[in-house]
Amino acid sequence: MTRANPFLLKMSPVVQRYALGVFSVAVALGIAVFLFHHGIRGIEFPVFLIAIALTVWYGGVGPAIVALVLATLAFNYYFTEPYHSLYVTWADIPYYAVFILFALLITWFAAVRRRVERKLLESRDELQREVAIRTQQSNLLNLTHDTIFVRDMNDIIIYWNRGAQELYGWSAEEAIGNRSRDLLKTVFASPTDDQVTRAQAIRSDVLRMGRWDGELRHTKADGTEVVVSSRWSLQRDERGNPVAILETNNDITERMRREDEIRGLNLQLQRRSSELEGTNKELEAFAYSVSHDLRAPLRHIIGYTELLQKHSSSATDDKGRRYMTTILESAKRMGTLIDDLLSFSRIGRAETRETMVSLNQLVKEVQSEVGQETEGRNLTWKVGALPDLYGDRSMLKLVLLNLVSNAIKFTRTRPSPEIEIGSSDQPSNGALVFVKDNGVGFDMKYVNKLFGVFQRLHRADEFEGTGIGLATVQRIVHRHGGRIWAEGQVGVGAAFYLALPRP
Amino acid sequence: MESIGRILLVEDDPKDTELTMTALEEYNLSNEVVVATDGEEALDYLYYRGKFQRRSGENPAVMLLDLKLPKIDGLEVLQRVKADDNLKMIPVVVLTSSREERDMLSSYKLGVNAYVVKPVDFHEFVNAIKELGVFWAIINEAPPGSVRKK
Repeated sequence: MTRANPFLLKMSPVVQRYALGVFSVAVALGIAVFLFHHGIRGIEFPVFLIAIALTVWYGGVGPAIVALVLATLAFNYYFTEPYHSLYVTWADIPYYAVFILFALLITWFAAVRRRVERKLLESRDELQREVAIRTQQSNLLNLTHDTIFVRDMNDIIIYWNRGAQELYGWSAEEAIGNRSRDLLKTVFASPTDDQVTRAQAIRSDVLRMGRWDGELRHTKADGTEVVVSSRWSLQRDERGNPVAILETNNDITERMRREDEIRGLNLQLQRRSSELEGTNKELEAFAYSVSHDLRAPLRHIIGYTELLQKHSSSATDDKGRRYMTTILESAKRMGTLIDDLLSFSRIGRAETRETMVSLNQLVKEVQSEVGQETEGRNLTWKVGALPDLYGDRSMLKLVLLNLVSNAIKFTRTRPSPEIEIGSSDQPSNGALVFVKDNGVGFDMKYVNKLFGVFQRLHRADEFEGTGIGLATVQRIVHRHGGRIWAEGQVGVGAAFYLALPRP
Repeated sequence: MESIGRILLVEDDPKDTELTMTALEEYNLSNEVVVATDGEEALDYLYYRGKFQRRSGENPAVMLLDLKLPKIDGLEVLQRVKADDNLKMIPVVVLTSSREERDMLSSYKLGVNAYVVKPVDFHEFVNAIKELGVFWAIINEAPPGSVRKK
């Protein structure tokens, strides 16, 4: 009624309510006067009651009092004797009492109504908030890639997120309402117990501790199997009764497959390494028996030949003596070969004892060891600053000794032999050491043969040697994680480069 | 010729034995040598057992011991000798073809007095034997219990 009036709309709500009181009483008065003049009596009292009731209902207590006062005055003035006077007789009193009682009654009704209305609004708001939170939660659950579903205590699926749909292939509509273990064909990873016992054990675990995690096998909508890492948590109502189980699953099929693969590879590796170990042991036994058994007959050949030389020196001619010398030389050469081969094989088998090694110190030691060979020769040494390296001292010394001995050997025919040992840093955090000479050199065509066992690029009567020195050098360098290579030119010289890692 | 056994040579190879004896002959030490051809015989000699049951004399002045021997190998002989209070004073020289580090290490761990690799070269061999024989049999003060040559 008030909302329809544009004039009333512009007023403040309080003024509106009071205006409502005044207006209702005025209208009631108008109707009552109109009816009174047309001879219809007895209606005026209910009309005023309605006006008061309306004001109380819609306007509240303040306007109701105003309306009550106005209605009382108007009723007294127009409709009680003496008419057109505010004189109050005893006969009027019941009317006023009814007015007041009626107003009180309506006020009470209105108050009750408002209270109920407020409560209703509050619970509606609460409901809306709840709905918003739930929607958000559900959206969040849907957002995650984890597979999440909820099943009630009868194993019926009641919630199914998007991750579950992606993993298993059933939509929420298809999955909800199904029995989880029937739909997914749950198989527990249990080597010993049967599935029923296992399921019961897990169920009682969940009921007792509120949670469980482990591995499961599920069957997807397309029939393929997945292995999942599963976490269950029990949901209880306010009274503590279990109502549902929330199951979060992660697909670990691929991980399991890789783990299996790695296990397989490890087994293979173990087998190979034990095979290798066996081979190594055999090789060691071989070298050991070579060391013992091959040297003994040689020793006898040499020993008895020398005894023979002594005993028959007068009885044999020059030819016989030359034969015996040749036998001795050959046997001794074979002895050297065996010894070199043994020391070469020992490099591969021996454990390295690594310490900080000063290469300059090693060069000094090597120089003094080869001092006898170089005596009386016009040899020029050029030794630069060399790095300290982390490695096996005796092995690294053997490397330098071999390279230096070679340099001395192959510069023997030179009038002014020169040996240069130096180093330069490598970009890749290593050290580069070189040994150069101006000796007879070698043809780069054969550079690949240089480091092979028993490979020689010179005739035995030119330069002696067994062809094992550089093979040994290479083996040591490799064991230290380094590289070795050579450059040479016939008649000009040779250079050997070692690239060794720095600590 | 009764050997007085100041040197116990434990060697299974007769050729090596002959060469060793030749080397010792040069110092007139060969008649003092007793040869045991395996580890068991060496122990028999030391403990007066078997064919050495009735041997005369005391402990040898020195034992030249090969490592690779039939029946009981050299390292075991060495271990038993060094474990016996009565025998452990006998100087033991391991005389072997083996240049293997582990043989050397085990020998020294067992308390060997010297470790000599038999040289392939006969001259070196003779020199080594001579030095050993002379050093341990003549120059070195023999431990109590071994008989000194008059």
